[in-house]
Amino acid sequence: MLAALRQMLDPTLFWEYRVVLLEGLVQNLSIFVESAILAMVVATIVALAQLGRSRVLKWIATGYTELCRNTPEYVLLVWVYFVLPLIISKMIGSRFRLGPHVAAVIGLGVAYSGFMAETLRAGLRSIHPGQAEAATAIGMSPFSAMRRIILPQALRRILPDIVNQLVSLFKSTTIVSLITVQDIMYQVSMISVAEMRPIPLYTGAAVLYCIVIIVATQVFQGLTERWRKRGWS
Amino acid sequence: MLDQAQPIIRVTDLHKSYADIEVLRGISLTVAPGSVVSVIGASGSGKSTFLRCLNFLERPTSGTIAIDGESASIGHGPAPSARNIARLRSKLGMVFQQFNLWPHMTVLGNVTEGLTQVKRMGRKEAAEIGRHFLTKVNLLNKQDEYPAKLSGGQQQRVAIARALAMQPKVMLFDEATSSLDPELTIEVLEVMRALANDGMTMLVVTHEMGFARDASDRVIFLHNGRIEEDGAPDKVFLAPSSERCQKFISSALS
Repeated sequence: MLAALRQMLDPTLFWEYRVVLLEGLVQNLSIFVESAILAMVVATIVALAQLGRSRVLKWIATGYTELCRNTPEYVLLVWVYFVLPLIISKMIGSRFRLGPHVAAVIGLGVAYSGFMAETLRAGLRSIHPGQAEAATAIGMSPFSAMRRIILPQALRRILPDIVNQLVSLFKSTTIVSLITVQDIMYQVSMISVAEMRPIPLYTGAAVLYCIVIIVATQVFQGLTERWRKRGWS
Repeated sequence: MLDQAQPIIRVTDLHKSYADIEVLRGISLTVAPGSVVSVIGASGSGKSTFLRCLNFLERPTSGTIAIDGESASIGHGPAPSARNIARLRSKLGMVFQQFNLWPHMTVLGNVTEGLTQVKRMGRKEAAEIGRHFLTKVNLLNKQDEYPAKLSGGQQQRVAIARALAMQPKVMLFDEATSSLDPELTIEVLEVMRALANDGMTMLVVTHEMGFARDASDRVIFLHNGRIEEDGAPDKVFLAPSSERCQKFISSALS
């Protein structure tokens, strides 16, 4: 029985296809990095709009975060890939297409920008108003007070939350195969079909993801530990 | 003699309301350069709001504020521009009840932040000035510490150095010792007295009747958003003309 199990989990199959699988993983990583950057940039703008003075911007920002947070990311992904190009095509009167990679980055970036905006907003609000007042009294503009005083403190506070969200985002990149991005899951399913042996590759993919995420979070936490604790030790 | 000098602070008919509550009901005041004015009064009398209106941390509802020739007026004529307010703030240093040091910066970083960010000074020059003022408050040896490592009294002295580094014309103290234990209050008051002896013009909102009485040139008693008593410490403490002031002082001293 053990022999049967060993044969089912045969790691040599994984090794045989290492190049294809690695290429898939690189796809996941690049979608992860690009959508993470998109999400963080959009989240910063949305969070600042929510805390700003303009009521209209506040409503728009709140509507946006609610939409992002309450729409399943798979639905969002499919919508961006299939529906958005149709709408744009109708609007500009000629054929418009989004590549699967770009659609994946936009879909996931938008989906996670909602969560990140909420986290960032909470972080910014948690900084005592006296911090900004001291900056104002010394002559700093609202912009430099935000950049030098408020944001660095807020980021330190929300960093663990942001890391969790980035981990989720990385995991979510595995659904992009559903819109034909040739990521690792796409490769695994293709090879599994060809070889008629689903067990080793799917198991291998699970283990690989787990290892990549654990190592990446550990390294990241190690790098940011000193920065995050500065002034609170 | 001081009274004849051109005033460094001139406040005219200052009003401040929140919704329908009027906190300041017309405050007018001139202060001669180099004088130390203590502002006393019960909580809710408007003394903190008064101080915070001077540097536009709170926007006055109406009135004119002129500090060392820079004036901003609300209620008549165009509203003061951002630059106008920035120039006014550059004349004023402020010290808060809660210190409000920036916890993610070192002591020296706190003191030099305004120099590098507002005055656009180079790091080296800023550090030199920063160390000069840290020496003044006797904390040069803590320059590389983070605020969390300091006692409350030390933190407040850093906050004073931070304000002084910008070389303001007037220092505003908003209950600077109210959140300190008595033994830590002393070191902060000593720094404030030294500053007064150096000739700094100071407006001090305080509950420290001892400081008001023997370190200031003039004491102002605020009640319900108006100046109710204004005079030399001896006069205000020993022979106030207002009955309310008399009551406040006898209860504060007992």
